[in-house]
Amino acid sequence: MYAKSRTVPTAQYTLHTRSNAKIISHECRARARQCSGVEVELSGTKMTRPGPPSENLPTVKLVVVGDGGVGKSAITIQFFQKLFVTDYDPTIEDSYIQHTEVDGQWCILDVLDTAGQEEFSAMREQYMRKGDGFLLVYSVTDAQSYQNIRHFHTQILRVKDRESYPMLVAANKVDLVGARCVSEEAGRELARQLAAPYIETSAKEPPLNIDAAFHELVRIIRRHPQQEEKQRRRRRFFGRCALL
Amino acid sequence: MWKICGNSKAEPVLFAAAINDDYQPTWRLWGEERVDGAIYTVYLKKVRYHRPTRSASSESDDEISHLEWETVRVRFVKAGTVERLVEALATDDGELESTYVNVFLATYRSFAECSRVLDLLLRRYEALASEEVLPTASDNSQQHRKTLVACLHVWLDTYPEDFRQPPHHPALQQLLAFTQLHLPGSELHLKVLQKLAVFSAERNGGTSAGTGAGVCLAPGMRLTAHHTSTYRLPHVPHRHFAEQLTRMDMELFKKLVPHQCLGAIWSRRDKDRSHDAATVLATVNQFNAVSFRVISTVLVEPNLRPLERADILAAWLDIARELRVLKNFSSLKAIISGLQSNPVYRLRKTWALLAKEKSELFEELARIFSEDNNRWAQRELLMREGTAKFADTVGENDRQLQKLLHERGSPGVSHGTIPYLGTFLTDLTMIDTAIPDTVADGLINFDKRRKEFEVLAQIKLLQGAANAYHLPCDAMFDRWFDSVIILDDREAYQLSCQIEPPTNPPKDRRPKKINDNNNQGHRKNDSIASTSSSNSSQFYCETDGAGNAWKRDSLERRTSPTRLSHGSSSSSLPSLDVSLSSANSGQKPANGKVTATSPAYANTRNGPDFYIIRVTYESDCVETEGVVLYKSIMLSNNERTPQVIRNAMLKLNLDGDPDTYTLAQVLPDREMVLPANANVYYAVNTAYNLNFILRPRKIQPAELMVNGKVRNKRS
Repeated sequence: MYAKSRTVPTAQYTLHTRSNAKIISHECRARARQCSGVEVELSGTKMTRPGPPSENLPTVKLVVVGDGGVGKSAITIQFFQKLFVTDYDPTIEDSYIQHTEVDGQWCILDVLDTAGQEEFSAMREQYMRKGDGFLLVYSVTDAQSYQNIRHFHTQILRVKDRESYPMLVAANKVDLVGARCVSEEAGRELARQLAAPYIETSAKEPPLNIDAAFHELVRIIRRHPQQEEKQRRRRRFFGRCALL
Repeated sequence: MWKICGNSKAEPVLFAAAINDDYQPTWRLWGEERVDGAIYTVYLKKVRYHRPTRSASSESDDEISHLEWETVRVRFVKAGTVERLVEALATDDGELESTYVNVFLATYRSFAECSRVLDLLLRRYEALASEEVLPTASDNSQQHRKTLVACLHVWLDTYPEDFRQPPHHPALQQLLAFTQLHLPGSELHLKVLQKLAVFSAERNGGTSAGTGAGVCLAPGMRLTAHHTSTYRLPHVPHRHFAEQLTRMDMELFKKLVPHQCLGAIWSRRDKDRSHDAATVLATVNQFNAVSFRVISTVLVEPNLRPLERADILAAWLDIARELRVLKNFSSLKAIISGLQSNPVYRLRKTWALLAKEKSELFEELARIFSEDNNRWAQRELLMREGTAKFADTVGENDRQLQKLLHERGSPGVSHGTIPYLGTFLTDLTMIDTAIPDTVADGLINFDKRRKEFEVLAQIKLLQGAANAYHLPCDAMFDRWFDSVIILDDREAYQLSCQIEPPTNPPKDRRPKKINDNNNQGHRKNDSIASTSSSNSSQFYCETDGAGNAWKRDSLERRTSPTRLSHGSSSSSLPSLDVSLSSANSGQKPANGKVTATSPAYANTRNGPDFYIIRVTYESDCVETEGVVLYKSIMLSNNERTPQVIRNAMLKLNLDGDPDTYTLAQVLPDREMVLPANANVYYAVNTAYNLNFILRPRKIQPAELMVNGKVRNKRS
C-alpha cells in the first residue's frame, strides 16, 4: 500500500538526485578539462595522456579509516563540502568524488569513508581491498584511537599482502588543545614505526591541513608506482584464477 | 530543497519527496520569514480554487484555466527554539501537519528531552484552553487543541518507549494527571491508563516482552551441544539456512528503533552510554556473527582437502543466493564480507576449485555491495525492491542471478526486505557532520531533522515491509549457530596461513616444504625444528599493549549487558580472551615446531601452536538431561592448568576461583585429570578427541591430610 502511494515521489526523488549528481560531475569534468588543456599548452609535448584528458584521468581510491568518533566524517565532509555549499546530500552518486590537481597533475579522487560503520568489523577488509591509499585517522583527544592505528595498519598490510602500502597518519582534532592527550611526538613516533608520514589536522573552521592530507596521500601513492602495478597484475591473475 | 505539503492526510508521508521545480511548477520558493524564535521557509503554492474530480494528473493541471487556481502561502519551519518547534505541531490554522509531526517525533531526541517536549506540549494546550474564555478565535483554539491531542496519540502509538522510563514512568504520570484534569474519560485518557497498566505489569511480571527475544532465539549461554547438532557444512539445506538467518535478522530489524540510528545518538554516543543505541548494536553484532561463522567454518579444520573446503565456500554462496531471493541484504552482505575477509579471500587454491558458475555468482552478489559511486548499486536495488513483493532486479551482466530468478519465476509468497543497516548509519553520520545542529541565534536547525527523517523514513518503511516474512523457527539451527567457534582476526589469519602459506616472503619458501611433509602423519613429540619463525610475524607490528587494548575494547562492547544479540556474540567472547595468550606466543620464536594429526582440530604447520579443545561443565546441581554441552576454547602451548580453567570458566559463564575446579580430558576408557599446574598443551592426549570436563574440585581425604586442616572450598 505504501509502496504504491509512494511510487511517484520516490521516482522524482531519484531523478532529482541523479540529475543533480550529473550536473556536478559535468562541472567537475569541464573544470578538469579546462585546466588540463592549459597544461597541454604549457608543457607542450610532455603531455602523456592521449585523447581527451577528462576521459583518462586516473582515479585514485582513498580510504579513510580509524575508530568511531575520531572525526573521520568531519575530515571527509570538510574536503567535499566545497562542492555542496547549499544542500549536502550524502546519498547521491558522486558525493565523494572530486577532481583534484596535485603537483600539476589532475586526478579523480574517490574517497571512501565508512564513518558510522566502524563496528561492522567483519566488512572492514572487504573495503580495504579496494583502496589505493589510506588515511589513518586518530583523535589526539582519544588515546585508544591512537593505539588502534597499529591494528588498522596491520590489517591493511595483510589484506594487501604487502610489507608497505601508501598510508598517511592523520592526528585529528588538534584544535582541541585543552583535551589533547596524544602528543605530537607520540604521533610522529607511531608514524615513524609504521613508516608512514604524519600530519596534524582539524576539520573545525578554519580547517587545518584537510586538503593537504588528501593531496599528500595522492603524492604518497604516486611514489609507489611499481607496487601499484604489481597489485593490479596480482588482482588480474587472481580474478582469472577464480573464474576458471 | 524541502517542499512538503503539510496538509496531507493523517497517514505519515514516509518518503519525503524533494520536488524539483522542473517537475512541480505549482510550487515556488518565496523566501524566508523571521519571527521571534523561528525562521520559516515560505513557498507559494497554486491550489485548486474549485475542487473538480481528482483524476487529473499533475502535468495536465497546468493546462486547466488559471481561473481555477489560487496561490496560497505555505510556510515550513526551517529553524526555531524548542517552544516554537512544539507550537508548529499545529499549523497557523490549527490543523495537524502530519509530515512535520512525524519528523518532529522521529528526531526530537537529538535536541530535547522527552519530558521537556511533553511539558511544552501540555502547557501549550493549557494556554489555548485558557484563551477560550475570550470570545475571539475560539474555533481556531479548539481546533488547535484537537490537533495537540492527536499529536499525543501519534506519540504514544509510535514511540511508546519514550514513556517507559522505569520505574515510575514520570512522563506518563504527568500525562495521566493532565488527561484527568482536561480530558477525563477521553480516548487519550484511556490510552494512557492502558499504557501504564502494561508497563507496570511488565515490571511486576518480570517478563518484559519488549527486551527479551523469543524462546527459540535465545538459547541459553550453555546450550552449545555440538554432539546434538546435525548441521554440518557443506551439507546443509541452503534455503533453510537462508530462512533461519533471515528469521534472526528480521526479529532484530523489527525491534530496531530507527531514531537510535541518528548521528547524534549512534555515532556520537559515549562508550558507556551504548544502551542508547542498543537495538542498532544488536543488528551490528548479528551481522558480525554471521560473517564470523563464514570465516570460521571455512578455516577451522585445517586438514580438509582443498575440494572439501571449496564445497564449504560453495555452500555459503548457495545460502547467499537464497538470501538474495529473500531480499535479506544484511546477512547477504555478512556472508559476502566473510568470503571477502582476508583469511578466506586469500585462499587462492581453494577458490580456484570453485565451479565456474559459483565464481560468477560470487562476483554478481559482491557487485551488489560495491562501494563504487557511493554504493549506488545497493541504493538503487533497495529503492526498487525495498517494498516490492519479491526480488526481481538483476543487472545485465548478472548471468547467475538472471538464471535464478528465471527458474523461480515469481514466487507465490511475498517477502519483506532486510537492508544492510551500515549504509544508513553512514548516511546519517554524514548528515550529522555536514549540517549544523543550530543556525543563527542558536535556533535548532529543523531542516537538518527533515533531512535525517528522509533516511529514518526509509528504515521505517522497510521495517513495515519486514512483516511480510513468515519464517518458521528451528531450534536446531540456533544451536548450530551458537556452537560455531569464533576466531578472532589473528587466529583466522594464522589458520589461513596454515592452509595456504603466504607466498610473498621468499625466505619462507624452504621451511614451508619441510612443513608440508610434517603434515603427513607427523606426531607431536617428533618435533622438527623449523628455521622460520611464524610466517605471519612480520605483519604483526603491534605491541602487546595495543593489541590488548584493542581486544579489551571489543570485549567490553561484547559483554555490555544491554546487548540484545543472543548467543551469537557471547560465544565469541571467550575466544577473544584466549587469543591473547595464543597471540603472545606468536611473537616468540617458535622453537620445536609441533604438529599433530589427531581427531582434534589441531594446528598443524608453522605458526604459533594451539589446539581447539571442547570443555563441558559438570556439577551436581545442573541436570542437562543426558545432553553433553561443550564449549570450544583455544589452547595455546604456554597455557597452564589454572589459565585453561579460567578460560573455560569464562566461556561457560562460571564465576569463582579457578582453584576450586578441576579439568579432565575424556578418554575412551577413563578420564585423565590434569595436574594442578601442568602445561596443558603438552599434557593432553592428542590421539583422541580433545574433550574435557570441568567440575568443582572434590576435597580428597588425602589432600586434607596434606593441607593439615579442613577447608571447605565448596561453601
